[in-house]
Amino acid sequence: MKVKAKLKGDVVKVKVLAKHQNVGPEEAKKKNIEPNFITSVIAKVGDKVVFEVSGSGFISKNPLFKFQFKGANKGDELEVTWTDLKGNTKTKKAKIK
Amino acid sequence: MNRRKFLGLGLAAVALVPATALHATDYRKEKPDTWKAEGTADAIKGLYGDITPIEEGVKIKAPKLAENGGAIPVFIKSDKPAKSVALFQDANPRSAVAVWTVPEGGIVDYGIKIKMRKSGKITAIVEGTDGKFYSKVLPIEVSIGGCGG
Repeated sequence: MKVKAKLKGDVVKVKVLAKHQNVGPEEAKKKNIEPNFITSVIAKVGDKVVFEVSGSGFISKNPLFKFQFKGANKGDELEVTWTDLKGNTKTKKAKIK
Repeated sequence: MNRRKFLGLGLAAVALVPATALHATDYRKEKPDTWKAEGTADAIKGLYGDITPIEEGVKIKAPKLAENGGAIPVFIKSDKPAKSVALFQDANPRSAVAVWTVPEGGIVDYGIKIKMRKSGKITAIVEGTDGKFYSKVLPIEVSIGGCGG
């Protein structure tokens, strides 16, 4: 997973690129693999949730999420976590630049 | 089990909840119907109930003609103070793509890449903090379908 967070004015712009097959049931059948996709992505600064999304198998492979939020400073740490259908999770921290 | 022990267990359970419930709202668990619905109308119903969204205040940026249906960049923007944002399409076996929970004071400006196996319409619904729903529908032409199509 790649996380980039950049402060512009008072808004932090974030790009999250998760590495995941992200296949729904139909696609998995065709490819003969088990369906598995990212079901949720959460981003936090400290204890504050700044981004949250529930996903499905119709989000692209290696999904890209872009979002913006206010109320953080340069150097703060952004923590991004995704969870998939099988319960795997991955967390990545990135400093806001 | 005596009463004191029972109460203690209850307290322990309550104390555990914030640690495990990382989500403010897990839409996959709370609204399972919306993820199973085949049509956009049913998916919206499953998520928000019977609503009549107002067609204003939401912008979608996406290519008119998507060459690769496996990764279509879609941007949703709205100036309305929102509680949640949902994205649907009618080209795949099921309609719901993603549901964002907008944190308090959050900015509705989301980018995502989605799959569509044929040409179709995408629908974005913004649930405003004022209790109203705003929507935007955009047709997208897909030349090579994603989603294994």
